[in-house]
Amino acid sequence: MTTSPKVLLVEDEPQMRRFLRASLGSHGFDLTEATSVKEALALATSHNPELILLDLGLPDGDGIELTRRLREWSRVPIIVISARGRETDKVEALDAGADDYLTKPFGVNELLARIRVGLRHAQQAAGTSEPTLQIGPLHLDLSRREVTVEGRPVHLTPIEYRILTLLAQNAGKVLTHGHILRQVWGPGHADETHYLRVYMAQLRQKIEVLPARPRLLVTEPGVGYRLRDRQ
Amino acid sequence: MAKVTYLWTAALVAAATGLGTEWQGHLAAPDVVMLYLLVIGTAAAVFGRRQSLLASALSVLAYNFFFVPPLHTFAVAEERHLLTFVMMFVVGFMMSGLTLRIRKEELRARTEEMRSSLLSAVSHDLRTPLAVITGAATTLRQDPPSLGPERKAELLETICEEAARLERLVRNLLDMTRLQSGALQVRREWVPLEEIIGSALGRLDDQLAGRPIHTDLPSDLPLSYVDPVLMEQVFVNLLENAAKYTPEGTPVEITARPSGAALEIEIADHGPGVAVDAGSRIFEKFSRGQHGDVPGVGLGLAICRGVVEVHEGTLVAENRPGGGAVFRIRIPLPGNAPAVPREVLHEDQKSA
Repeated sequence: MTTSPKVLLVEDEPQMRRFLRASLGSHGFDLTEATSVKEALALATSHNPELILLDLGLPDGDGIELTRRLREWSRVPIIVISARGRETDKVEALDAGADDYLTKPFGVNELLARIRVGLRHAQQAAGTSEPTLQIGPLHLDLSRREVTVEGRPVHLTPIEYRILTLLAQNAGKVLTHGHILRQVWGPGHADETHYLRVYMAQLRQKIEVLPARPRLLVTEPGVGYRLRDRQ
Repeated sequence: MAKVTYLWTAALVAAATGLGTEWQGHLAAPDVVMLYLLVIGTAAAVFGRRQSLLASALSVLAYNFFFVPPLHTFAVAEERHLLTFVMMFVVGFMMSGLTLRIRKEELRARTEEMRSSLLSAVSHDLRTPLAVITGAATTLRQDPPSLGPERKAELLETICEEAARLERLVRNLLDMTRLQSGALQVRREWVPLEEIIGSALGRLDDQLAGRPIHTDLPSDLPLSYVDPVLMEQVFVNLLENAAKYTPEGTPVEITARPSGAALEIEIADHGPGVAVDAGSRIFEKFSRGQHGDVPGVGLGLAICRGVVEVHEGTLVAENRPGGGAVFRIRIPLPGNAPAVPREVLHEDQKSA
């Protein structure tokens, strides 16, 4: 990180802000703080942050509604940090346009990893998409439609390939079941979660060393899947 | 269950009537009335309010029909018998009211007992990690010169561990509360068991480090029909238990197989096993087996059983012949999983 990335923190609890100010500041982030929806909207426009950390329960409104309003005009990565740990809350926030979700309490390493993923994807989205992707032992050549794991070629069916490329292009980010289903099977199949689960099981058989202890294709229970980009 | 108690009530009234007619020569009318009151009292004490009211009504009718002249009609010749009926009914009513009060009182006492054991368990288990965190943090803030870098690192590690322990406790308490209040929404879906077990193992990477985990899931295992989030919690709790109560480095085996119209899943360890008499008690809230030195409130297994039961399944614990405990989950399978459309593969796509 050569320049300090600008991060907007939207959080009404002073202790939480203090902890994040100390830990993110020491990792070279330029942190701006907002304590309400109103303030957050103003700062998001005037300050042009590169990433937003968003608490859901705010005194003057809900973070999910704020996410929807931000998404009307901005593609800035939004990472939700919330004490609401229920899966429906996570899916709602992600469907509203958030990029990732961390449930309180979380460790600072986890947060930093998610922030890096968010910033990286924002950069990639701005530039041209890469023709090849390397995620841990996994290598995808998108132009030649070739997949290898530690150099060993893997034969995938077209659907398996589409799921894997979708996850790989969003490596490190959680993708909801509904999102993957809409992208791979089409909008009419957003609720057929068992299709996706069966194909994920097949993909794990082909890619993971131990399919019952996946290291790459990680399940986010009740939410979706994530291709883990760091071991 | 409830229906059976009404049948029993009717049967008791019939039995009293039978006895009364059998001994008619030896019994006076007040004796027969006493016999019916005995039945009403029994119904109130054993079954409950409605059953005792039913017993009162049936008794009055039977007494009238079989013992009050003119016999074998519901007509009443003398007015004093009406008074008897009314009194039988009033006594029945009072008895049922009294039983209800006693029952409420019992329930309140039990709830009170539960609440105080919850309070003492929770306050102990919340306070201990909090005390450790406070102690470690204040020591670090003072930063005495005698505190070497090693000790500092140790204190920091302790803070993280204890915070994680608090988090687990709060999560378990919330789960238990949701389970008990009936507010828990069960979203059953068709899921490969491997996915649920895989994410449970992933969550316990640290706790299971250095421990061989053998999973034996047949490749043709049918999809299970469960709430994946809740079932993951069951596996997390069972594996967490294995990590807590069995010696480090000992293996844990996870196996599954179809068994009739159900899936049978076993989690077996090589630890000290479960105390035989505690075999079923370990699933009760705040029951902790014989492990005074291992932290915990004893909610984990209660949650497991609760979750398995909302899936109409069973969870039992046994000792293995070769030593170690085995937890066996049985989850019914309602029919076959819906089919997943197969991909039509063209020759040129096979190596995509």
